[in-house]
Amino acid sequence: MVSKTEETQLNRLENQVDNGGGGAWEYLCLVRKLKVRRSEKVLKYGLSILNDSRKRSALGPEEWTLYEQVAIAAMDCQCLDVAKDCIKVLQKKFPESKRVGRLNGMLLEAKGSWAEAEKAYSSLLEDNPLDQVIHKRRVAMAKAQGNISGAIELLNKYLEIFMADHEAWRELAEIYISLQMYKQAAFCYEELILSQPTVPMHHLAYADVLYTLSGLENLQTAKKYYASTIDLTGGKNTRALFGICLCTSAIAQVSKGRNKEDKESPELHSLAATALEKDYKQRASDKLGLLTSALRSLKT
Amino acid sequence: MAEDLVLDTAIRDWVLIPLSVVMVLIGILRYFVSKLMRSFQVPDHKIVKEGQVIVRARNLRAAANFIPPKSFRSRRVYFSNEENGLLFVPKGQAQNAQAQMFSDPNMAMDMMKKNLSMIIPQTLTFAWVNFFFSGFVAAKIPFPLTQRFRSMLQNGIDLSTVDVSYVSSRSWYFLNLFGLRGLFSLILGEENATDDTQRMMQMSGFGFDPSKSLSAEKDGLDIVQHEWALPKFEHRAEAVLKKLVS
Repeated sequence: MVSKTEETQLNRLENQVDNGGGGAWEYLCLVRKLKVRRSEKVLKYGLSILNDSRKRSALGPEEWTLYEQVAIAAMDCQCLDVAKDCIKVLQKKFPESKRVGRLNGMLLEAKGSWAEAEKAYSSLLEDNPLDQVIHKRRVAMAKAQGNISGAIELLNKYLEIFMADHEAWRELAEIYISLQMYKQAAFCYEELILSQPTVPMHHLAYADVLYTLSGLENLQTAKKYYASTIDLTGGKNTRALFGICLCTSAIAQVSKGRNKEDKESPELHSLAATALEKDYKQRASDKLGLLTSALRSLKT
Repeated sequence: MAEDLVLDTAIRDWVLIPLSVVMVLIGILRYFVSKLMRSFQVPDHKIVKEGQVIVRARNLRAAANFIPPKSFRSRRVYFSNEENGLLFVPKGQAQNAQAQMFSDPNMAMDMMKKNLSMIIPQTLTFAWVNFFFSGFVAAKIPFPLTQRFRSMLQNGIDLSTVDVSYVSSRSWYFLNLFGLRGLFSLILGEENATDDTQRMMQMSGFGFDPSKSLSAEKDGLDIVQHEWALPKFEHRAEAVLKKLVS
């Protein structure tokens, strides 16, 4: 995940390069470091550097990293010829390289020849059974082919070995949600919260899953996690504010007969509603009417 | 023993500084040589898994208060369960790791290479220092020392009345050996093979590392008391919203 300062720096560089100022190389380096996915821009500016032989030789040994970056961007934009050329150049320079083998596998994937790509990846894995990137490419391939259960299986096997990889946990959680397997998704989000407890996004996603699972205990827990999201984001997260209102009304509905009063935070609901109204007044005042009627229907 | 020996400044110019410069250069040379000689070691699949398990267990311990008590407890059982818990290492296996470490030819070769690349330059430099720079007082240590250090630090000086603070160049060599580590990490970046002292410390307990850290994690996990922090958050959220709304 990219921090705010890095994001502003990236945007600034992007604007600069777009408007004709120099700095294409710094932009490409920053994109590579932050692992952001801006394939069109990378393709355009990378090719402009590579095709100009003077600029290319000015790069020195970084030239090959640029070839790899442009090849991947080209595959993302479906310009397979460009990708093939870049890979050919790389292969001439590094004939026995694993990285080039991986790029070849990705090219086969981009072309859509799944079986050959699978063969290429498995042969690469034989030589190097602990290569994380290849494992992840296989999962991505299974997902792209629509074989979601296969993707889940591969991802679980990957996580058995590399259980500290939080990106993989996130991917697994999203796959489970798409299949409506909410309990498993909750487990994955718990892992994410454990590894990065101060990232509000995980709290929010976990709260959403708990709210969907429903049931009194889950709803109360969901309300607590919405509250923690609000705390971590300083009250600015609209989804969390809505979440609080919905949770409170859902809890009230579920515990209608019982006398379970929520002693912990009696004002949270009204505070959240007020904060929402204020936010809407500032940013989308035409929808304020909708908001107030929705909140009123929740209160009853 | 309060007389102050006046040391020739020529000593500083021709002994202390050249010795430091030579050691820095040898360190840099060793770094590049080790980079060339480094054989790519295929990480063992079990070792990687153990490393990751430890990271996960550590995360669990650190952030235990952020997840609901039920999930924390189920995870704790998963990790420290007697039969098939991840962190539980039966006694017999622990010894095996070390024996395996020494019998595996690749690993032994690697350790030999690393040891050699460390021992040979050290020995050579030490012999060189002894040959050229012995028999005179090289420096004065600013703090007083006991008599025990005399034999170690005053090696070439055969006068027993000289204060122990006046040392020979051998001690300057040792000082440099341990002190230049910081300098190397500045010059050569984080990954440098000149961490001799660390390597020496690691040499003793090699194969034991995984199983020991696993049981250490398990003990740590057993101790943790789960105190769910989330209810507090509700109050904090209230406070935040109050400030926002007012």
